[in-house]
Amino acid sequence: MKEVLTVFRAVLVRQLTLYRRYLFNTLSGLVTMYIVFMLLMTGARAIGGTTFMNGDAPLQSLVVGYLVWVFAMVGYQELAWGITNEAQMGTLEKLYLTPIGFSWVQGLLQLSLLIMQLGLTGTLLMFIMLTTGVRLQVDLVSVLPIILVTILAAYGLGFLMAGLGLVYKRVQSAFQILQFSLIGFLAAPASWGRFLPLNLGNRMLASVMVDGNRLWQLPAADWAALVFVNVTYLALGFVAFRFFEGKARELGLLGHY
Amino acid sequence: MHVALRVTDLTKTFGRGKKYEVQAVRGVSFGVKNGEIVGLLGPNGAGKTTTIKCILGLMLPTRGQIEVMGYDFHRQYRQLVRSTSAVLEGSRNLYWRLSPRENLDFFTGLHGIPLALSRPYSEHLLRVFGLEVKKDAVVQELSSGMKQKVAVACALALRTPVVFLDEPTLGLDVETSYELRDILKRLAREEGRTLVMSSHDMDVIQDVCERVIIIKDGSIIVDDRVDNLLEVFRTRSYRFTLSNGPGLDWHFDLGKKFPGLTVIPQGESMILEVTLPRPSDLYAFMDALRDQGLIVEGIHQEEPDLEKAFLYLVRKGA
Repeated sequence: MKEVLTVFRAVLVRQLTLYRRYLFNTLSGLVTMYIVFMLLMTGARAIGGTTFMNGDAPLQSLVVGYLVWVFAMVGYQELAWGITNEAQMGTLEKLYLTPIGFSWVQGLLQLSLLIMQLGLTGTLLMFIMLTTGVRLQVDLVSVLPIILVTILAAYGLGFLMAGLGLVYKRVQSAFQILQFSLIGFLAAPASWGRFLPLNLGNRMLASVMVDGNRLWQLPAADWAALVFVNVTYLALGFVAFRFFEGKARELGLLGHY
Repeated sequence: MHVALRVTDLTKTFGRGKKYEVQAVRGVSFGVKNGEIVGLLGPNGAGKTTTIKCILGLMLPTRGQIEVMGYDFHRQYRQLVRSTSAVLEGSRNLYWRLSPRENLDFFTGLHGIPLALSRPYSEHLLRVFGLEVKKDAVVQELSSGMKQKVAVACALALRTPVVFLDEPTLGLDVETSYELRDILKRLAREEGRTLVMSSHDMDVIQDVCERVIIIKDGSIIVDDRVDNLLEVFRTRSYRFTLSNGPGLDWHFDLGKKFPGLTVIPQGESMILEVTLPRPSDLYAFMDALRDQGLIVEGIHQEEPDLEKAFLYLVRKGA
């Protein structure tokens, strides 16, 4: 346990150092996300008209959906692009040469990124609420568990794409296609969309943040489905990653790009 | 003395089927004692890096047993990793947006070494490698020599008993290469570390290593102490000065009979450098020169170096 904490401290400090050192980059990322949302909202208003006026539920749902997408995209990107970048830079093999193992290192790295992402996305949400007049219930006890379970599927997809990247290398275009597919997953109808990544979590989060429901007021069946679907995507993604990782080690591709 | 590393029948085959199969490492076996500094030498594609990466588990061996500090590759991989550190891609093994000190902190942290324990030794390494002034500058702003030193320091900072260095002096200028060699020798001596170093640079191996393993086409062709190898070649290397010879193609036949023959034209005369393993070979060589109508002006017995020994062994296939 002590060793795990030491590794966690190392990856967290590294991320904090990079965020601080490249503060402009961090802030411009935040501003870009804000601008993208404003464009999205403008587009939605142009199409949906008065439905998307300030304070209306569709606009609130749009904000919630956007937050879920941001969280999912960051998790997905950090895994898929992150591992590919490490291979490209030549540091991936070093991450494999750790006593606790690469999977733990990646897990702890993602956890440290998530902690920082919570702070950044929280700031983004605050700006959006301030400038659009949208009011949302931010009950952290209800919101955080839903977000955490929902983005597990995004990590699963990230693992899958990272594994593909290790073996097949130039797969960035596929990364981007999947990145935008996440929006489609969010917007799919509930009947079958609940089995897609992000979809059910987005609805449950809207129920909490827009309708003001609490964690325990959500249907148990939804909770069960949320956990089952997202854990399954994570597990499948991780199994696929381990398969491709084995292939990469067999072919000697870990250090190549 | 205990064995730090034992490799038995290590084989790595890429591709499947006779048509696509490439045997990069073929049944390689060797041991390295605790505190020994061993060089892996071989031409490009000989299998040096593949051997190192198989030992570290970054490539899966097709066959063979590997033990590091008594830990079995298949059963105790985590402990094996805990006993090793490596520089594999030189300065590419670093985070260029972090400083040398931040890199050291990160990699020691990854190995589970708390900062309070790692920092004093990291500071010591920064001093030894002459990086103290630049310890807080980002790596991408450092010279390539400094980057390479940081990469080596990051591997040494883990204080593992066994350290693998794949081409540690690649791309360094002569001065930095000498500096790095001195540091490696000193640290290995002072701390009793086991170093396994691959390099194309024969000078580096001769200077730093006690023992050399020469690999060709995935197989070990020589495994001996550097001193022994040089001693054997001391009496074998000759330099002949000929007063005729340019413009003739006689040296092609001679080259076939005496592998490792080097011909250096010098105006009207010729210099031949050759390694003759047995005393009788000297007479045979003289006869061959005479048969070609070549006139020997002088014979000089050369001081051997590892490069000549290596070239002879690799060309001959030992």
